[in-house]
Amino acid sequence: MRTLDLTGVICPMNWVRARLALEGLGPGEALTVRVDPGEPLESLPRSAEEEGHDVTIDGDRVTIVKR
Amino acid sequence: MTLSDSELERYSRQLVMPEWSGEAQERLKRASAIVVGVGALGSPAATYLAAAGVGRIGIVDSDAVELSNLHRQPLHYTPDVGGAKAENAAVKLSFLNPEVQLEPYPVRLEPTNAGPIVAGADVVVDCSDSFATRYLVNDASCAEGVALVEAGVLGLSGLVTSIRPGRSACYRCAFPVEPPEGSVPSCREAGVLGAMAGIVGSIQALEALKLLTGVGEPLLDRILQLDGADLRQTIVATERRAGCPACAAVPAAAESR
Ligand SMILES: [Zn+2]
Repeated sequence: MRTLDLTGVICPMNWVRARLALEGLGPGEALTVRVDPGEPLESLPRSAEEEGHDVTIDGDRVTIVKR
Repeated sequence: MTLSDSELERYSRQLVMPEWSGEAQERLKRASAIVVGVGALGSPAATYLAAAGVGRIGIVDSDAVELSNLHRQPLHYTPDVGGAKAENAAVKLSFLNPEVQLEPYPVRLEPTNAGPIVAGADVVVDCSDSFATRYLVNDASCAEGVALVEAGVLGLSGLVTSIRPGRSACYRCAFPVEPPEGSVPSCREAGVLGAMAGIVGSIQALEALKLLTGVGEPLLDRILQLDGADLRQTIVATERRAGCPACAAVPAAAESR
């Protein structure tokens, strides 16, 4: 599983980096990103969901399963 | 008011258009426009207004140029990063057309200053990037009876409409419900392709020039929706809303000056 530390990275750069990491994965593969609480923890999962990926949140860790 | 030899030469390619005229050109020269936001939409909009010879252009923007702006804001170049957008745009546009009077307003548009800034203008071109500012610009333009071109762009899609307060539907007539303040958008909403913004901003300039000169038919009571992915366009009809808090009490603005 790929992981990415995006703490200290604000929107939309955090989603840019997560998205590029997702491009390197196959369908069903997961990417776990760490983001700051607050705005990034709200907007990054929403962006991933809007693109059809499965998203689970555990604390400050967002796991995105590529569709 | 007469046009100088150099003005005749500068504007010769529009003066030979059958739809155009010396009178239209002189109307532009006497006209005053306010461009709110000189970013993705405002760069092309202000450029074409200045190039076409609008006499006075006020440019409202409180932001500084950032590296992430440059892919879509062609008035700002890499060496301009960190500088004030309003001032930078005024400098660039004065190189483009020294006949035009440029007034940078490096301020944030607020309910307290919106009215005084748009008052006395002949057209406002709203190139802002937030719903809050868009409603603010609409309400101030309606209250001052100033014609307005509204637009928005997101990703590959865009929207443009023109407004003559008191005569045609305003932005609030068409979209009466403001999106909730402070709702967190997704990061995707920051996404836009520069070329698409360029098209929408250029259409805004075209609309403003039509409103100022009386040439053509502006998008009054009509909303143009443009999809850059397939370049399909849709025109949706709108109408004035009785009791609209922005424009219901506004006397009809003059047809043109
Ligand atoms: Zn209205």
